[in-house]
Amino acid sequence: MSEPARTLRLPMVERVLEANDEIADETRDELARRGIFAIDLIGAPGSGKTALLEATLQLLKGRRRPAVLVGDLATRRDGDRLARWCDQVVQISTGEGCHLEANQVRDALRQVDLEGVDLLFIENVGNLICPVGFDLGQTAKVGMFSLTEGDDKAAKHPYLVTAADLLLLNKIDLAPHLSFDRVGFEADVRLLNPRVPMLEVSATSGQGLERWIAWIDRASVARASAARGQALG
Amino acid sequence: MHEFSIAEALAAQVLAHAPAGARVRGIEIVVGALRGLEPDALRTCWDAVTFGTPMAGSTLEVDLRPWSIRCSSCGREWSSPVPFVACLCGNSTPAPVGGDELDLVAITVDEGGT
Repeated sequence: MSEPARTLRLPMVERVLEANDEIADETRDELARRGIFAIDLIGAPGSGKTALLEATLQLLKGRRRPAVLVGDLATRRDGDRLARWCDQVVQISTGEGCHLEANQVRDALRQVDLEGVDLLFIENVGNLICPVGFDLGQTAKVGMFSLTEGDDKAAKHPYLVTAADLLLLNKIDLAPHLSFDRVGFEADVRLLNPRVPMLEVSATSGQGLERWIAWIDRASVARASAARGQALG
Repeated sequence: MHEFSIAEALAAQVLAHAPAGARVRGIEIVVGALRGLEPDALRTCWDAVTFGTPMAGSTLEVDLRPWSIRCSSCGREWSSPVPFVACLCGNSTPAPVGGDELDLVAITVDEGGT
């Protein structure tokens, strides 16, 4: 006697990226416990993420104690550039991975002496799409667009625009040479995300960077007092 | 190609839920518009990551949720597969709202059989 197989449909509701999100939550708790404000910087290849961090690290020298994780498919070039300005830089080689995942960030953080660090920059793999959906345990997500990419990139990448806590528009010094429609770009952003703050910057000329630094300081303080409020119950 | 990472995460999750010895026939997931997931690319990745496992040959059903479009001029609301569309009233910039859900909602398995 043989028994026929039974076909069963098992309904459930579970997040597909739950395993990633659990690691990210552990990282977030650890960073919060240490009072570290962590920024996941997401932007296209060539948008100027590394250049922005180089300029930012110089401006923060003596004021903040940053560490940097930087993800790339290949080479240590970005890590080497940033190591000139910060003694705690870890390059994450993602191989074929088009984005960072929470376990890579957790593992890279084990190579950082977090004692005394108060600010963490995570430069994601250059990509406007894939990195957005993977929680790394960051405190804030910063999206970067640049004038050379064209003014339609916000509309074409709605997930980053809606998920970002801050949007940077880089290479603003090139505005006189390019036909980038800043009004149209901002209108697209506002349709998707009416509240996200936007800053126009130039990592190379330094234009607008004082406002970026001020945002980092303000957001760090706001996060720290929110955490204290939670601790007090 | 975030589809590959998602297929890998999904396979681990399905394997954890499938009863021991069961053959997985079908998977159903719900995907929000914001995710920008391409169902065909995801299916290709699914076939690749499940090759040689009890999930091999299973069908992956993707319920891709559309954008919800709200017109601030006339108040009309409707759904659309693309985010930036004009309203019938003439307003060329209604606001697109999308979800970012990415959920496993059902597994179909063949159990037992001798």
